[in-house]
Amino acid sequence: MDVPRLSIMDRLHAAVLAIGGSGLICAYWIAFFHSDLTLPKFVHNMTNPDVVRLATVYMGFESAFPLADLLVAVTSALAAFYLIGRDAKAVLFGLVASGALGFLAFIDISFNLLHGLYAPANLLGDSGLQMEAVINVGCVVGATWSIWRLWGHPLRRAEDRPSRLSAMETASLDAAGN
Amino acid sequence: MLAAPVTFAPEFEVTVPLPIACLVAALGIGLLVEAIAGAFKVWTYRSPLFLLVNIVVVFGLVQGYGVGWIIGGHGALRGVFPVLFMVGAVLGILIEGLNQYWLHAWSWSDRPLFGISRAIDKSAFVGVAWGFTPLLTVLFARLIVKASMGV
Repeated sequence: MDVPRLSIMDRLHAAVLAIGGSGLICAYWIAFFHSDLTLPKFVHNMTNPDVVRLATVYMGFESAFPLADLLVAVTSALAAFYLIGRDAKAVLFGLVASGALGFLAFIDISFNLLHGLYAPANLLGDSGLQMEAVINVGCVVGATWSIWRLWGHPLRRAEDRPSRLSAMETASLDAAGN
Repeated sequence: MLAAPVTFAPEFEVTVPLPIACLVAALGIGLLVEAIAGAFKVWTYRSPLFLLVNIVVVFGLVQGYGVGWIIGGHGALRGVFPVLFMVGAVLGILIEGLNQYWLHAWSWSDRPLFGISRAIDKSAFVGVAWGFTPLLTVLFARLIVKASMGV
């Protein structure tokens, strides 16, 4: 079987999956459970009862993410692992990881928008929320780029790609005709 | 004058600290896993040194002391369980990848493992299964600490 070589872009993609999809997610959750680094400033505000209520909801919401992020981190690592090995399973795990990452990012964005956390007044004065906004945008952009790359990747099976299959059939018919 | 009674009872209780318990528990898990793998010839090491390194460094220091104690050794376990598995599995896939593509310190037998026949798939499967090591380490380590306190 003709195995495609690992291109520079594939190396970059594997690094993005391994470092961005797996490493940074692990680092984020270690920091979340062991420091205040990832928390927005407003969760420390104990004077305003409305803010305290929002902080309780926010912490409950965030605490539900580790199990879902486990799926993203593990499938991203598997995608990088198979991509380095030039194996077609890289496409499967990469699409699962990217789809899950995009889904989680949109849930997070939706929560932050609905609760006014991305209002300029809140966003400009809170470095924790700014970091969250950067993470959200990074996740959406990274997931979209990864899906786009994997969809057109040579490792994707020809049977799953009607356009490629028809091109191969046309080429074989031409060869038989000649 | 009455002489004080001589007793051999210890003057203080010896309890095992959690970091040491994590290391011991992970080493125990490593020995058990390698013993089972060796008995069924699931994988074989190129040199006994790699077996020793795997048990002491990867199981004991990295997954046990490193991941188990640093992430799961503080406070309540309930919320941090997925993070323990996540970090353990990601490190496991990294270790298996290093071996599969560069180190070749251990190799897989030809027999299928839970229906998996290709070496690359076995590496990926075992890489994910590494996630259980820090989880079990922390659970066993807490039992060791409790047992040492006589609870």
